[in-house]
Amino acid sequence: MTVYPVTRLSTLGIIGKFAVALIAVVVTQGILSFKFKVFGYFDLPLIFSVYYGFTLGNPVASIVIGSSLGLMQDSLSGAVLGANGLSKTLIGFFAATAGSKFAVDQPVTRVFAIFLFTLGDGLLVTILGLMVGPASGAIYSGALGSWLLSAIFNTLLGLVLFGYHDRWSNATTR
Amino acid sequence: MSRTAAASKKPTWIALTIALVIQTGLISIQARRRIDTSFVRVWILDSLAPMEKLVDRASHGVRYVWDGYIALIGVHNQNEQLKHQVDELQMKLQQNREDLAELQRLRGLLSMPAADIGKTVVARVIGRDPARSQTVTIDKGTAHGVKPDSAVITPAGVVGRVIHSSNFFSIVQLIVDPQSAVGVMLDSSRRQGIVRGTGARDLDLDYIDDDNDLKQGDMFLTSGLDRVYPKGLPVGTIVSIGPRRGLLKTVDIRPSADLGRLEEVICLIEHSQNVGVDSVDPAQGASNP
Repeated sequence: MTVYPVTRLSTLGIIGKFAVALIAVVVTQGILSFKFKVFGYFDLPLIFSVYYGFTLGNPVASIVIGSSLGLMQDSLSGAVLGANGLSKTLIGFFAATAGSKFAVDQPVTRVFAIFLFTLGDGLLVTILGLMVGPASGAIYSGALGSWLLSAIFNTLLGLVLFGYHDRWSNATTR
Repeated sequence: MSRTAAASKKPTWIALTIALVIQTGLISIQARRRIDTSFVRVWILDSLAPMEKLVDRASHGVRYVWDGYIALIGVHNQNEQLKHQVDELQMKLQQNREDLAELQRLRGLLSMPAADIGKTVVARVIGRDPARSQTVTIDKGTAHGVKPDSAVITPAGVVGRVIHSSNFFSIVQLIVDPQSAVGVMLDSSRRQGIVRGTGARDLDLDYIDDDNDLKQGDMFLTSGLDRVYPKGLPVGTIVSIGPRRGLLKTVDIRPSADLGRLEEVICLIEHSQNVGVDSVDPAQGASNP
């Protein structure tokens, strides 16, 4: 019988928990977007990429998380495979880098970061889609408005989620 | 920078490079269309979509219990009214049956083909896209005969077309998606054109032979020229006509099908022989992926 060291088992457990959490994020986004149309403006995978980037303190994990979330999002959405993956990879990396250099526990920093990340994500995904897809789908007139709305909704939801995280981590460290 | 700090940053750059290479590789493979990457999508779709379906079923169960038991309090009066309506409708139905029989007799006389649209399968919408494109996920895939470019409709009108299919699930691009185009004809004048999605609620008229006689309330039907949608299905109604932009007037078309409240849809898996196109111009009305 193979005996695994305790540390290896606990590492597998942590990876498993993260995998379940990531799948839950993407599935939840799909279901909520279907049930409530306004949820199409939210981008849960983006918020969680930023969230993990800021809070984990581990850039490698943030890159892997962002990359996986984006790839799953592409597969369920019919978008160009890799477009959201590339975008969320970069967001995970930049969020983790920012988390180690700036005071990301300040609401102002979080608002600024999520807002900019959402706009950057919209722009990058659209450009990659146009590079691969047909030229007919040029950036339509409502795209900028849609990105702005999405950025506002994401920022608000991000603030709530980060707030819960702060409260929970304060309660556990007390 | 100290040597230890530089060494600790090394794994980050390696991980970032690997992730970027994988994602960029996937994108470039799709751009060159040399290798079929659909297996990645099929695998992930088949893994994640059952979970969406499970949650959808659970929410349906809750709604069934609510609608079937709890919400039934005080429906006696409504029941009486409905009984009256049923009586009236039965009389109308009888009248319609007679009309239908007459129509069939006349069709037989004129040797007209029946206006069926071909082989179909009913699918349930189980999810909406988690990104910004206008797509929905349905619970039927290649195992049920649904394949890319299958038309998806409701009794009210055209919904969209299948763009990706896994074994048991498919992704449907709605007609309001900015990358979607439908070959149409005006119900009244039979003028042909193309409508395109805007990413918002309405469609844009992209091309028409002559836009001088367009008026609010005019209905567009599928022309069948795009080889995706059978001829004669309702697409949408003109809700506003704006000033000329370039060669054409700005025409907003509201889709006939309620795309915000899709639950069950019909997938056309085989076109009927008598529905479709007599002369096809592939350059016109092609629906983009």
